[in-house]
Amino acid sequence: MKSAPIYQEPATSWRGPRQRRRLAVVLLVLLFYGVSLHLAQVSPQKLLTGLPKMAGWMMKAWPPSTNELDILLLRAAETVAMAAIGTTLATILALFVCIFATRNLTPSRLLFYPMRWLLNILRGVDSFVFALLFVAAVGLGPFAGVLGVGLHTWGSMAKLYAEAIETVEPGPLEAVTMAGATRPQVVSYALLPDVLPSLASVTLFFWEFNIRASTVLGVVGAGGIGQELKNSMDLLDFPRLFTVLLIILVMVTAIDQLSAWLRGRLV
Amino acid sequence: MSMGTDVAAAQLQVLNLSKHYHGVAVVDNVSLTVAPGEFVALLGPSGAGKTTLFRCVAALTPLDGGTVVVNRRELHTLRGAQLCAARRDIGVIFQQFNLVRRLTALHNVLAGRLGYVPTWRVLLRRFPAADRQLALACLDWVGLLGHAYQRADRLSGGQQQRVAIARVLAQQSRFILADEPVASLDPETAESVLDTLRSIARERGIAVLCSLHQVDLATRFADRILGMRQGRLLLDLPTAQLSAVHRNLLYAAAAPEAQSMQQRSTPMPFGVL
Repeated sequence: MKSAPIYQEPATSWRGPRQRRRLAVVLLVLLFYGVSLHLAQVSPQKLLTGLPKMAGWMMKAWPPSTNELDILLLRAAETVAMAAIGTTLATILALFVCIFATRNLTPSRLLFYPMRWLLNILRGVDSFVFALLFVAAVGLGPFAGVLGVGLHTWGSMAKLYAEAIETVEPGPLEAVTMAGATRPQVVSYALLPDVLPSLASVTLFFWEFNIRASTVLGVVGAGGIGQELKNSMDLLDFPRLFTVLLIILVMVTAIDQLSAWLRGRLV
Repeated sequence: MSMGTDVAAAQLQVLNLSKHYHGVAVVDNVSLTVAPGEFVALLGPSGAGKTTLFRCVAALTPLDGGTVVVNRRELHTLRGAQLCAARRDIGVIFQQFNLVRRLTALHNVLAGRLGYVPTWRVLLRRFPAADRQLALACLDWVGLLGHAYQRADRLSGGQQQRVAIARVLAQQSRFILADEPVASLDPETAESVLDTLRSIARERGIAVLCSLHQVDLATRFADRILGMRQGRLLLDLPTAQLSAVHRNLLYAAAAPEAQSMQQRSTPMPFGVL
């Protein structure tokens, strides 16, 4: 039996180009955080002096007020409805366009890039900003919120749908193509069953996410529980504010649970 | 089975087919024919270009030169609806089966009917009764009628490949292309799958071109053997004429890595075994 050979590995040096590059990266990251802390005006003193003020409000907030519970619950229902309609609208629009934004299945390169740009723009503008614009266009109320949620989610969802479709195995699609299937047939018969669980998962995520996001849309006048949040804060009515926060907490938790249960069933 | 395949009667005729990737010829000037009812095996080491040749023949990959004629139609000149219609004549069986995993075995076999059915029926999953009967008959023929309503991903590898064969049968193509159909299967299952493919050729007069990398399987099942190496077709013989000389032509010193594994020059590191 031969003896084990000695394996020669390439030499490393502390002053090699790789190490120098690594040092440069560390310095850049430190610099980035230094500048960011300054720009964000982070100040622990302000937090320390502000905390007792908040504690005082919390004392005054007890017991939470219940005399306007009916209107607050109606506003909460508005928030759920706004998120549900907006997300559904986004789902339908995203399903129609996502194929165009996939590298592997787009019908034409000429459509791929414009579609990606459109989706990136929609995704880049937050629901909150869209809602602000739509309040000016269609007036105060939850409909502006629906449009805001719908447009932003359209972009985000279509992008995630497209990514799910891009990871699909090409084999079954080719097999069905070789049976003489046309493109719409291939998409419906071979692609859809394969990606349906991922698409359902993405959709549930956005539904859940949009209910949380919609709680603040009222701040810009787009209806829902957020409007009451802002009103209570403006009036410094802390017991009412406390009730609003409790309703939001219960609502979001319930939706999270429901969505987790649905995910277990669907995926 | 005669070796001199009559070109006029051939189901598949490939003439001077070439395919390059980055300037390297992966398939180099290959010509071949397969006649109705003939089971032809294509042998060759990994990397010989068998899969690329098959993808070119199926028009899944464009050609750099040559022609492919299936059922008297020149495949690579067709576009759109004509290409879809022509593809119905080519049944393909893949190494990885390529079933739609979340559909039932029956729906996977019905996929073979997609080229004959209007799109609205496909969208609603409403196939004509005749197509469903045909699909069930095909499943019955491969011995899987009892699994018709099971999801494809619940079946074993051998069963999945049988569903894939049933899909090709339901397609009623006159020519079947099988790309390493038994490479992912255990030896016994492999034999039964090849046996099924041979009966399809014999009983239904379908032309079968099947790539394999086990010489013994090829000699046992095929009527004729083609041999490929480094993109070129080196052999085209009736099975009975295949000799050790021919085997060496294809496989000798073909895989230097495989050799170095056998002639190990260093001992196993301590503790590996």
